Amino acid sequence: MTRIENRPLSALLDVLTSLKLTIVCMAALMVLVVACTLAQVHLGTWGAVNVYMRSWLVWWDVPGTVLSVPVFPGGALAGAVLAVNLIAAQLKRLELSWKKAGLWIVHAGLILLVIGEFVTGMFQQDMQLAFEEGHTANYVEYPRENELAVIDVTDPAWDEVYGIPETLLARADEVQVPGTPITLKVKRFLKNADLAMRTPNDAPAIATAGVGTSIRVAELPPVTTDDRPNATAAFVEPVAGGRSYGTWLVSALLAAPQQFVYEGRTYQLAMRSRRVYLPYSLTLKDFTHDVYPGTEIPKNFSSLVHLNNPAKGESRDVLIYMNQPLRYDGKAFYQASFGKGDTLSILQVVSNPGWLLPYISCVLVTVGLLVHFAITMRRSMRRRAAAAEAHS
Amino acid sequence: MRVEAPDPGARRDGARPWSSVAPAWVFLGALALAASGCQRESVSHFRVPKAAPEPAGMAAMPAGMGGGMGAPGMAGDVPPPAQPTGSSALAWTLPKGWNEVRGGGAMRYATLTPPASGGKVEVTVIVLPGPAGGELANVNRWRGQIGLPPLDEASLASARKHVKTRAGDVSVYDFLGEGQQKTRVVAGFTFTEGNTWFLKMSGDAAAVGARKPEFVSMLESLRLDAN
Repeated sequence: MTRIENRPLSALLDVLTSLKLTIVCMAALMVLVVACTLAQVHLGTWGAVNVYMRSWLVWWDVPGTVLSVPVFPGGALAGAVLAVNLIAAQLKRLELSWKKAGLWIVHAGLILLVIGEFVTGMFQQDMQLAFEEGHTANYVEYPRENELAVIDVTDPAWDEVYGIPETLLARADEVQVPGTPITLKVKRFLKNADLAMRTPNDAPAIATAGVGTSIRVAELPPVTTDDRPNATAAFVEPVAGGRSYGTWLVSALLAAPQQFVYEGRTYQLAMRSRRVYLPYSLTLKDFTHDVYPGTEIPKNFSSLVHLNNPAKGESRDVLIYMNQPLRYDGKAFYQASFGKGDTLSILQVVSNPGWLLPYISCVLVTVGLLVHFAITMRRSMRRRAAAAEAHS
Repeated sequence: MRVEAPDPGARRDGARPWSSVAPAWVFLGALALAASGCQRESVSHFRVPKAAPEPAGMAAMPAGMGGGMGAPGMAGDVPPPAQPTGSSALAWTLPKGWNEVRGGGAMRYATLTPPASGGKVEVTVIVLPGPAGGELANVNRWRGQIGLPPLDEASLASARKHVKTRAGDVSVYDFLGEGQQKTRVVAGFTFTEGNTWFLKMSGDAAAVGARKPEFVSMLESLRLDAN
């Protein structure tokens, strides 16, 4: 009876360690690689990798609806199942004994390396911080993602910032902004669009309020190169207290925010790069661009920044230069680029909870090899001693 | 080594061996788990200290858009236009008890603060070179700020009041929002010496109403600086 009850469990273990599952996962990964490669034509490298490889599921937007259904496992899911399959097979087959301790440690290190890559792929956030000398920033931005910021600027000391991701604008008819009485009706969303001044021959504007009334919007195909962001635009209608505040054009190309007032509170609307605010601020004191004497060949880029974190009582200068990032509060700030006659510094900001794993795995592999070498040498020396004793 | 025969009871119903379909079930299970745990993007919220005013210019705008659109509320990849001085600048007599600060924003010529009167009131003076989008567009922008629908040219004319000043004729508009907590805008608009001037008082309806006579008298005092 017990044997029958355990049958599904043992069968599950058989499956988890089976070669068939390995093949299924590898086949899925092959399909994903092909699909991802083809999709790069339309989505660009970064976009295609995100959709096919760095996702649990590949989603398909049902045409004509807001529905999105999963149609295939993503690279993350196929990779995770494959990793479980390989680990289970390893546990089942490798001999558990002190003689094999070194090999166990080496394998643990290798598995940790794979896990590290998985954690990096799934959880690493790539952001950037661009600021000019003398400027202070308390936020970082996702350069490839946009958001519609609804900002309550009424309070003289604080701003309440609500960020609606473009992905939500793209699929929703209306978005209730939590914590506010405002609902935004999304009349039209354009992933990429160019703006120009309206002319008398243009069709009537969709916008009925704000600067959008005098602007012509032309939809463009989404950007497929990785070095240029989409100029996302949308027509939204704020509704509060049962009253419409008109239809507004919001676009990443409109630099200054537009605003309306509801019940004495002033709300600004701005389409911009998705922003994450920090509990501390960085001020760029000086950017330096050194070249080798007599040439234009770059020698060094460095940013002298002042870090100010009132909550921790920290106020200090930090020099960020090539391969010497500032690691702070779970983020690494790398010197990435510069501009505006060497007065603008662009830092790449990386948040990777698994950044230590490759180092740990390298240590494990090294220790494992040393242990294995020591065990083997000890065994060899014992054999020699035994042989010498037999001969004597 | 002893090999156990398969338990016939487990396959009595003629079903396929569990292990043969299990890879698919494992995959589907993982798929469902991933689907349930998948979080779609949601609205973020941050409470942040007010940003200091930008020292020069504003964020970049692509080529072709910069500078060509003069309406307030927009900015190109250029610094704000130079403020008028001397005989091309407007001057006024500040009502008693009011404070004045020159600047206060990238486009602002001056920010005026009336004494507290039981509600929020903000008075700004903005000057832009040229027609700055025209009177109708700017009036409709003010109306849009308090949730009112745009006007056409005919309605604009009937909404317009005139104030005679030494700097010329000033068009004055007074709009009241329709929300439960009403917002009111009283604004003057004049074109002189190649510049368009916007003098706007906005805020809580009662407070703006209380300060309107002083604001109108300030409009009446407008003159070119050399005068």
